[in-house]
Amino acid sequence: MSQRNTIDGAHDVTQAWFSPPADRRSLLDRAHRGDIVGALGRVRSADTGPRRRYRRRVAAFLAIMGPGVIVLAADNDAGGIATYAQAGQDYGLRFLWLLVVMAGVLLVNQEMVGRLGAVTGAGHARLIHERFGRRWGAFALGDLLILNFLVIVTEFIGVALSLGYFGVTRYISVPLAALALIAFPLAGRFRRWERAMYLLVAASFIAVPLLMLVHHSVHPIPAVAALGHRVPGSTVLMVVALAGTTVAPWQLFFQQSNVVDKRITARWLPYERADTVAGTLLFALGAVAILVTCALAFSATPLHGAFTDASTVASELRDRAGPWAGALFAMALLNGSLLGAAAVTLSSSYAIGDVTGTKHSLHRTWRDAPKFHGSYAALVVLAATIVLIPKAPLGIVTTGVQALAGVLLPSALVFLLLLCNDRAVLGPWVNSRWLNAIAASVVAVLLVLSGLLTISTLFPHAQTGGPHTAILVTAAGILGMLFGLRLPRHDTTATPDGDVPGKPIWTMPPIETLPAPLRSPARTIALVTLRAYLLLAATAIMIKIARLIAAS
Amino acid sequence: MRRSSPGTPASGPPLSETVAERLADAMFALSTPSRVLILGCLLEGPRPVGDLTSLLGMEQSSVSHQLRVLRDHALVRAERVGRQRVYALHDEHVIALLQAGLRHVGEQGQAVTAADEDASSAS
Repeated sequence: MSQRNTIDGAHDVTQAWFSPPADRRSLLDRAHRGDIVGALGRVRSADTGPRRRYRRRVAAFLAIMGPGVIVLAADNDAGGIATYAQAGQDYGLRFLWLLVVMAGVLLVNQEMVGRLGAVTGAGHARLIHERFGRRWGAFALGDLLILNFLVIVTEFIGVALSLGYFGVTRYISVPLAALALIAFPLAGRFRRWERAMYLLVAASFIAVPLLMLVHHSVHPIPAVAALGHRVPGSTVLMVVALAGTTVAPWQLFFQQSNVVDKRITARWLPYERADTVAGTLLFALGAVAILVTCALAFSATPLHGAFTDASTVASELRDRAGPWAGALFAMALLNGSLLGAAAVTLSSSYAIGDVTGTKHSLHRTWRDAPKFHGSYAALVVLAATIVLIPKAPLGIVTTGVQALAGVLLPSALVFLLLLCNDRAVLGPWVNSRWLNAIAASVVAVLLVLSGLLTISTLFPHAQTGGPHTAILVTAAGILGMLFGLRLPRHDTTATPDGDVPGKPIWTMPPIETLPAPLRSPARTIALVTLRAYLLLAATAIMIKIARLIAAS
Repeated sequence: MRRSSPGTPASGPPLSETVAERLADAMFALSTPSRVLILGCLLEGPRPVGDLTSLLGMEQSSVSHQLRVLRDHALVRAERVGRQRVYALHDEHVIALLQAGLRHVGEQGQAVTAADEDASSAS
C-alpha cells in the first residue's frame, strides 16, 4: 500500500486500514487461504485498501479474473458445439434468440454461485449438505457425479471425432488427451493451471475466423428469412437440448469451488462479478458463431435438417466452404472438448473433497492431496476407457446427456435459489427481490420445458409444439416471478438489506454453528414434489434413449 | 529442499518450506472451535460419533464432517470396535500438542492423565 492512498481519501483509508481481510471461517483447506495468485497477477491477502485509480482496478481485475471466464468458455464444450451446430444446420437462425436468453440465465446463475463461494468459503456440495440435510446432499452429489461422468465421456467423444477428422485414430488421440488433462493440475500451482486454461480459452476464439470464412465462401448468402424452415423432428427436444447444454449443474459446483480455491473473498466480489460478465460474453460469442456458421453453410441445401454428428458437420463444412472451414470447426471442437473435460472433471474432484473433508486445492501437489488428484485422474481414465470401447452409440449418448442435464438442472437451481435467500449463509449478501424474481421464473420455465420433453418422450404422438407451448412457458415464467417476489427471505429483521457497514468483510460464521434453516411446509412440499417429478422425467429420458438405440 | 545447518545463517531458514507447509496444515485443522471441542472430548479417551454428538450438542453430520477433516490431517484415527466406529487421537504427539496448547492459553486439561492411560493401553 502506497502513501498515495492516504492522500486519495482519508475517510476510506481509515476504514480500510482497520478492516481486517475477510476471513472465511468455513474453509476446509488451508490452501484456500492466502494471496490470490492468478494467471495474470497477484493480490495480497493483506491488501484491504481502496482502489481509486483506474490502473490499479484493472490490475486487480486481471488477477482475480478466471473462475467465471473459464467456466463459461468451457460451456462451449463438445456437447455444446454439437448442439449449436445441430440447431444451426436443422433450424437455421430460429434458435439464435434462445442463445441470448441462455447467456442471461448463465449470468444470473453464475453470479449467485460466485457470491456463495466468496462469502461462505464453502463449496456448493457442502452447503447443500449442511442446509438441506444428508439425503439432499447425497442426492445432489450423486446427480452431479453421474451427470459429470457422462459429460466427460462426451468430451472424449469430441476429442475422438475432432482428431479423427485429421485422420488420427481414437486409440491415439483419446489416451493423449487423457494424459494432457491429468497433467493440467498436477504441478500443484494454481497459477500454472490457470495459465493452461487461459491458453484453451484463447483458442476458443477459433469460432470467429470460422464464421468469417464461411460467410465469405458461401454464395449466395441466403436471406435471413429463409434460414428458419420448419423441419421434421421435435422442436421441444431441441429447445431442451440447447438449454441443457448451456446450463449444467457442474458449472455451479465448479465456479463456487474455484472461487474458494482462488481465495477470492467478499471484498473482491465486484471484480468476480465482472469476471462472470466477461465469461458470459465469451460464451455468447462462441455459441452464436458456431450456430450462425452452420445456419449459413447449410440452409437452402439438402443438408438442411439432416444433422447427424459433429464430425459430419466438419466434413460437410469442408465440402461447402473449403478445407480450412472443416479444419477450423474440428479444432474448435477439440478445444472445447479439452476445456470442458478439464473443468467438468475438476468440479467432481472439488465436490468430493468438499463433502469428504479431504484436502482439495489446485495449490496442492499430488503428494499433498492424493485423493483430490487421484479422483481427478481416475475419472479421466475411466471416461477415456469407455470411449475406446468399439461400436458404442456415441452420437446418441451426446444428445441424451444434454437432455438429462436439462431435466436435472431445475433441482440444482432450486437449491441455489434457496441458498441465496438463506440469511444465515449470506447475511447482507442475500439475493435482492428482483434477482429472486428473475431466477425463480427461470426455474419455472426450465421445469415446464423439462415437463414437455417428458410428455413428448412418453407419448410421441402428442402435440407439444405450437402456441400452447409458448403460452404455457410464459405462464410458468410469470408464476415463477411472482413466487420469487414472495420468497421468504429468512429473518429479515436480523440484518437490513443493501449496503450495510462491514458488508465487504462479512463472512459466514463457521457452518456448523449456523441456526437450522427455517423449515416451512411450503419449502418441504416444493422440494419433495420437485424430486418426484425429476425422477419421473429422468426415467422418461432413459426410455427415449433406449428406444433410439433400439431403433438404430 | 534446504537443509538446516546451525551457525551459518546465510544458508537459509532452519525449516524447509515443505515442513512449514505441513505444520501450518496441522495447525489449520485446529483453527475452528468445533474441531478443537471434538479433540478435547477425545483427550478423555476414544469415543464413537454418537457420544461426541451428545456431548457437544452438534448435528451428527457436522461432527462426522469435522472428524473427516481431522482424519485427513492425521490428528484423529478411526477404529472398528465390533459394529461401531470409534475415533481416537492419532498418536501421543497430538495429545502433547493439545496439552501444550491448553497450557498456552492458561487452561489445564482435567482429564489429561486419563487420556495418557488410554493411549498407553491402546498401544
